[in-house]
Amino acid sequence: MRLRYLIKKELIEMIRQKEMLFLIFVAPVLQIIVLGYVVSTDIRHVPVGIVNLAKGNKAEQIIQRIDQTPLFRVRWVTRQPVDYLSYFKKGTVKSIIIFREALDKKRNLLKYPEVQILMDGVDSNTSLIAAGYFNGIIKNFILNDMGRRGQQLPLQAKVVFRFNPELRSINFMGPGIVGFILTILTIFLTATSLVREKEQQTLDTLLMSRLSALEIYIGKALPSALIGMVDMVIGLFVVVTWFGIPFRGNPLDLALTALVYVTAILSYALLISVFSSTQQQAMFFAWFSLLMFLLLSGFFTPIENIPSFLRILVDINPLRYLMKIIREIFLKGNGITYFWKDLLILSGISVTMVSISLLNFKRFISK
Amino acid sequence: MNQTVNAIEVRDLVKVFGHFRAVKGISFNVKQGEILGFLGPNGAGKTTIIKMITGLLKITSGSVLVSGLDNQKHMALIKKKLGYMSQKFSLYPLLTVLENIEFFGGISGLTRKELRDQAARIGAQLPAELLRQRIQALPPGIRQKVALFVCLLSDPEIILLDEPTSGVDPEMRRKFWNEIYQLKKNGKTLLVTTHHLDEAEYCDRVIIIHNGEIVWQGEPAELLQQNRQISIEELFKEVISKHGQN
Amino acid sequence: MARIKAIIVKEFFHILRDPRSLIIVFIAPVTMIFILGYAFSFDLNRIDAAVVDFSQSDFSRQLVNRFANNRIFVLHFAGGGTSGGNPLRAAEEMLRKEKIKEIIVIPVDFSRRLTVHGQADFGIIIDASNSNTANLVFQYNEMIVLEFIAEMKKAGQLFKLHTKIYFNPEAKSSFFFIPGQIAAILLMISAMLTSVSISKERETGSIALLFISPLKSYEIIIGKTIPYIIVALLDGVLTLMFSRFWFGIPIHGSLLVLLFFAILYIIAGLSLGILISTTAPTQKAAMLAAQILTMLPSYLLSGFIFPIDSLNPVLQAISYAIPATYFLRIIRGVILKGSELKHFLFEGLMLVLLSAILLLAASRKFSRQRKAVQ
Repeated sequence: MRLRYLIKKELIEMIRQKEMLFLIFVAPVLQIIVLGYVVSTDIRHVPVGIVNLAKGNKAEQIIQRIDQTPLFRVRWVTRQPVDYLSYFKKGTVKSIIIFREALDKKRNLLKYPEVQILMDGVDSNTSLIAAGYFNGIIKNFILNDMGRRGQQLPLQAKVVFRFNPELRSINFMGPGIVGFILTILTIFLTATSLVREKEQQTLDTLLMSRLSALEIYIGKALPSALIGMVDMVIGLFVVVTWFGIPFRGNPLDLALTALVYVTAILSYALLISVFSSTQQQAMFFAWFSLLMFLLLSGFFTPIENIPSFLRILVDINPLRYLMKIIREIFLKGNGITYFWKDLLILSGISVTMVSISLLNFKRFISK
Repeated sequence: MNQTVNAIEVRDLVKVFGHFRAVKGISFNVKQGEILGFLGPNGAGKTTIIKMITGLLKITSGSVLVSGLDNQKHMALIKKKLGYMSQKFSLYPLLTVLENIEFFGGISGLTRKELRDQAARIGAQLPAELLRQRIQALPPGIRQKVALFVCLLSDPEIILLDEPTSGVDPEMRRKFWNEIYQLKKNGKTLLVTTHHLDEAEYCDRVIIIHNGEIVWQGEPAELLQQNRQISIEELFKEVISKHGQN
Repeated sequence: MARIKAIIVKEFFHILRDPRSLIIVFIAPVTMIFILGYAFSFDLNRIDAAVVDFSQSDFSRQLVNRFANNRIFVLHFAGGGTSGGNPLRAAEEMLRKEKIKEIIVIPVDFSRRLTVHGQADFGIIIDASNSNTANLVFQYNEMIVLEFIAEMKKAGQLFKLHTKIYFNPEAKSSFFFIPGQIAAILLMISAMLTSVSISKERETGSIALLFISPLKSYEIIIGKTIPYIIVALLDGVLTLMFSRFWFGIPIHGSLLVLLFFAILYIIAGLSLGILISTTAPTQKAAMLAAQILTMLPSYLLSGFIFPIDSLNPVLQAISYAIPATYFLRIIRGVILKGSELKHFLFEGLMLVLLSAILLLAASRKFSRQRKAVQ
């Protein structure tokens, strides 16, 4: 097979470029570890200020509870009213909790103080969730307290958090990061390889050889795919061992999906390569595309809220399907019987992408 | 019959890039077994013409026949007969000499045994320690040698060399031309471009190209006898001005 | 002075005539703010829930109605044994296939327990793959339960608990992300533009001419940076107008304060761009790799998307060295909270400091390179 000489050459070239080596082996591991720590929607250490205008020790007990959780960090407690707005504007606390004496309709003192939770709503997501946790803490305290006196709430919801009981956002982000690594490597390696030939001026001799356009295309695509997959496996390993993310599914399912996905990404990257005249240009387009793919894939935020006129971009984004499937495989252990539809669509996208890319490649060759 | 077919026949070849007419309708032949020299200043169109013959550039109009085959229709067959060495020697800088040979030989369809033979051949021509050095670390003279070697791996009948002696010192240039002669003796046809006037005398025939047109064709003896002392620029000026007057 | 003006004019021409920089200046920001403005949202607008009601009593139906009447919930019924097979199983399948986000399970003795013991439990199974969404889903469920209880309980109130959200009453995450966009776009423009321009000078070799010219190093740097400051500001204004008039984000604070800090921030970005492009040993791959490595922390560690408080201490420390961290607080404060200068003393100081350090470093690097050539 003449092709294997081309593949061997590509691999040799990749390994001998120092920057590439770094990019291929070191950078991904670093990226995963850093991203894993950074990309987190977990609520932790939300700074809180407390204004305690109530008498009695119920309020103090609640304050203690709040102080004890790692979710919140109590910055200050005061018994004087404060200028809430000013604190929020300065940004030293994201939330202020005010305890007051509570009176019922008949102006009798209630057992438990009235609690007002003020949130800095700029980060609405954190505010909502933090407010919810406050509610939970206070309610639980009161319930436990009441429970000891034999009183109970008439209705209780027992909640089970399925697939991710610890509610760790890394469980959701981690698989996404693995997908990200696969993408970033494949795109960069492929996009630059063709351009490198152009710049080295070895492209002509390659074209003059007896290799067909298809063979050259595959010869350029395969090594990057290989390295991309290897790095994905490394990423998988890091993500499972370092961050302790569960992997409940079948690795073969993952391999299959990754293969189909990588085909789409490769073709896209080769397209970039065809249209770029310098490696710099290629890398810029690659980076920009990566960003777009990432944003419209459900990696950071759920795609449900994306309005319809942008949905089309989401629906043709191969990364979106990879994200969904890879998360299912990790957390739910879903097999192909569950995600075959998504896989089918992904395959369709891959095939289309390859055709467009190959066509342009052929045209580019016979200039 | 085979003796009378020209190795290469070019008819009214034109290349246009956008609004720029790089090659303005030239015609010439390369006879079998001859060494044809293309002379001309930079930008004259030599490389463009060669690239059109090899199929690397699309022909705007005109025709190119290689061994009687139209290169628009039979490119795959023609590729088997052609050997090409481009201006920058086109070897992979990050690969070693041996690796380059293995690669180019491999994609030309050489078997493993043949590749081993070729490696031995180059081993006879170059000192051992150079063989495992990366191309980017080697001087132009060595690179030229390797580039020529690579070009010949598929044993082509017709060989196109684009400025093969650029950047190479005179001593090595002479050695190079010795090799070219050997090739001719072995029945190969060669088309060589150069901007070194003194190399013209090594060729059987010489064509001077300027601004995409042929300004002079003929035997080098005729050319040089008039112009032994002057530089190539002045030669061109003379020839071109004469051409302009016609 | 006139010499500086000459450089400024030349730079402008370069920006306007190079298609790469045109894309960076016009197309990329607009595309970004559009897509990011719409793509980034943590908001939860719809909860698909499957109801498995084993009790089929008045009480259970009341409970289910409370969910049904809430506009966020969309109920699906995995019936009580009508289609054969286990309805809970069927619901779990739906959960796995992500057709629903939660399953509401009402046990068979629900009604009896309520009437006899005055206390009953029911179950909610939430798909917690996305923990953030799960948290929000949980909130909504809790809210409905509490409302139900409040109605059921006729005698008085057990406790009073109110929540008030400032600055963003509808809790739209676009308020959070879009001002941050402006910061991201400004950074991208300042860092990328300078590195593009300098690398071009290197490629064409005209940087040698600059080096040899009689201009002093600081004059060159000033001349080179001013056009980019202007371009970046123009883009910032463009983006701000988009955010105000297209996405409807009100501007509460002083634009002058914003302008002042924006300029500082842009200078920091430019200096960074210059530093990168003069430091990179091999232009191509190293430069772009470095660029990505500095822009990425600005996106990820500055509080742009993920709150800094939840980062671990090492990363938090790094975030304090990033200009974007401070500028983000400022821009969000000014736009959304109407904060004033006095609220930003710390952030402002840090921004001044960081910009100055970066600018100095960039100038020194530049001068040193110049001396090396001469």
